[in-house]
Amino acid sequence: MLTNNQRINSTLIAAYIIMGIACICIGAPLLWMVFASFKHTDEIYRIPATFWPERPTFENYPAAWNAVPFDRYFLNSVITTCIATTSKLVLATMCAYALVYTKAPKWLKDGVFLLIIAALMVPAQVVIVPNYITMASLQWIDTYQAIVLPNCATAFGTFLLRQYCMNLPYEVIEAAEMDGANHLQRMWLVVVPMAQPALVTVGLFAVVSEWNDFLWPMIVTNTNEMRTLPIGLFRLFQTEGLQNWGVIMAGTVFVVAPVIAVFVRMQKSIVAGIAAGAVRG
Amino acid sequence: MDAKMNRRSFLRAMAVVGGSTVLAACGAQTAATPSATAEAPIAATEAPAPTVAPTVVAEPTKTSTIDITYWGSFSGGLGEAEQAMVDSFNASQSDVKINYQFQGNYEETAQKLTAALQAKQTPEISLLSDVWWFKFYTAGVLQPVKDLMAAAKIDPSDYVDSLINEGTRKGDIHWVPFARSTPLFYYNKDAFAAAGLPDRGPETWAEFAEWAPKLAQLKVMTPVATPDAAATTPVPTVDPETNMMAFAHPNSASYVAWLFQGVIWQHSGKYSDPDFTIRIQEENGVRAGKFYQDSVNAMSKWAYNAKDIGADFINGLTATTMASTGGLAGFEKNAKFNVGTAMLPKADGFGCCTGGAGLAMLAGLPAEKQAAAMKFIAFATSTEGTTTWSQNTGYMPVRKSAIASDAMNTFFTERPNFKTAVDQLALTQPQDSARVFIPGGDQIIGKGLERIMIGNEDVATVWSDVKLTLEETGAPIKEALKAIEG
Repeated sequence: MLTNNQRINSTLIAAYIIMGIACICIGAPLLWMVFASFKHTDEIYRIPATFWPERPTFENYPAAWNAVPFDRYFLNSVITTCIATTSKLVLATMCAYALVYTKAPKWLKDGVFLLIIAALMVPAQVVIVPNYITMASLQWIDTYQAIVLPNCATAFGTFLLRQYCMNLPYEVIEAAEMDGANHLQRMWLVVVPMAQPALVTVGLFAVVSEWNDFLWPMIVTNTNEMRTLPIGLFRLFQTEGLQNWGVIMAGTVFVVAPVIAVFVRMQKSIVAGIAAGAVRG
Repeated sequence: MDAKMNRRSFLRAMAVVGGSTVLAACGAQTAATPSATAEAPIAATEAPAPTVAPTVVAEPTKTSTIDITYWGSFSGGLGEAEQAMVDSFNASQSDVKINYQFQGNYEETAQKLTAALQAKQTPEISLLSDVWWFKFYTAGVLQPVKDLMAAAKIDPSDYVDSLINEGTRKGDIHWVPFARSTPLFYYNKDAFAAAGLPDRGPETWAEFAEWAPKLAQLKVMTPVATPDAAATTPVPTVDPETNMMAFAHPNSASYVAWLFQGVIWQHSGKYSDPDFTIRIQEENGVRAGKFYQDSVNAMSKWAYNAKDIGADFINGLTATTMASTGGLAGFEKNAKFNVGTAMLPKADGFGCCTGGAGLAMLAGLPAEKQAAAMKFIAFATSTEGTTTWSQNTGYMPVRKSAIASDAMNTFFTERPNFKTAVDQLALTQPQDSARVFIPGGDQIIGKGLERIMIGNEDVATVWSDVKLTLEETGAPIKEALKAIEG
């Protein structure tokens, strides 16, 4: 017979093993990318493959940085990501608040919510062509607003925030109402602080999806002045013949590094956010 | 969707973006071929300020520079060579300024051009690959350039015949050869020496089948250490237990149907006639298919299907392969052995096709834009232009005068492998319509080849399936062609 302690220990060991496997599955490709960025092309193509760079080189980094105007691309990525993320957070918060705390008729609130759920089901690819034509008819091709506008609202974020708000203690909001706070005050001073974990989650998802978005910025921009980082990465690929993987990996490292940094910084909140959204208290 | 859209209707449209099936349907419809309005006005293209009207500037430009937008697909080293060419053009004169804009790979560039035609936001010049330009031709959106070439004093007959003929329809030129490549036979000279074979490619596939067992007896070779590596760390042997393979086929994703185009010609067969009559299922096509099948499946097999023929070749896993001339520079740079090239082996006879991309001008431009765009096309494909371009990239020189030039001949003596490719160029032919003109034709044939080689299915059955699919897919383009060519 197992004692309780033994049972806990074996559960713990199993958990650690599973976590270890997950770490390897997720971490190994990242490590591989970093190591490859310090290898020469011939070493990358060699079979059997090497793990540690045999003759480490730093040439790949300047080569990647100079092949494409990455400084401008970086600036564009930062601008579009910041605008879209901010806009998503503001709109999602306001929409979620309205859906949960206003006294609008139930059929209207349900109808809007249904529309949001439906929007979740529409793949982004489907709306690309109509969006492109809309941007073209507005004469917005190759502008920041064209990159950002279709990504300014988030169905997923609105959905997540609404569900989270449903679980917040209504008494607190009622108390604020008694104290004479209007809707805006209740939203910014009461709901937003309480919903912070969910907001961080939505914000992180927005940052990652904006930063990594390739197809839409590629389609809607033409010049180097407007292009974003994922397009820069694509430009490192050779059209014909052997790929210069060292350079591509070096480029990938400095493109993903900021996102990883943001993620690591915010990871505690995101975990709390997902858990809080999932468990009904 | 209407071209005119005010703020209110736009906001309304945004509001219903969500679950709206209307938009989904709209997307499906607009994703289809560009509507064939021949005189689709080509709007002021290069990044207009948000307030500028879309109409072409009508006022006569006096001494000011004409801006021409050029969409291209080259990235990596080729992208740099392309940008260098545009820069030297812009520096060489002040009448025309080319704005080069990278638009993704061949497929993405073509798709973006489709969307741009819908939105009337097209460039003046676009690079289009062998399998894409025809779609735009049948949509009636490409400018015939024969008269413009004459006005710019370019002699079309100086272009390599097989290359210029491919873009010529109804006696006029719609697609000017620029970055053209052909398949080439690559071999590992060191392996050939070790196997006691002569230092040349096989004359025929039958000869290669005799050579193959000798190559297959070799162990995968230990790479010779490079000078910089020798001093520091010894390079480990690759795998002394593995036998070398004689030949590697690519898969359909790597355009096996492009390489097989030459092979089916070598067996006196063809994919199709120019009028889209499919011929792949005929006796010689089946024979060619059987030849590929036996190369990987028969008792006397001498080939295998590689995931990445380039990587396998430079690592010495295979002694030979067929690949694009565009890969030559990369192979020579990264292989640890001496790389040799040869013309494709013969079967009944010789056969080799062209590939790559050319330049097309969009229809409906005002005369001065046409002349300006032509000026760049003339520069890029001039004797000097194509010489520099092909030396920098490995693409074929597209002009006969360039091939005969001193600069090129000096280059040939330095790079004998490149000379093989250019010698072979004179013997190439434009590809059959089934692969390049039927949308997705390449992949339809390529998947068929995978069934034959990897699935080991009956060749005649596979080809008759392929024939049906090609006919079905080709029907609309046949109609479109009838409408435009009569």
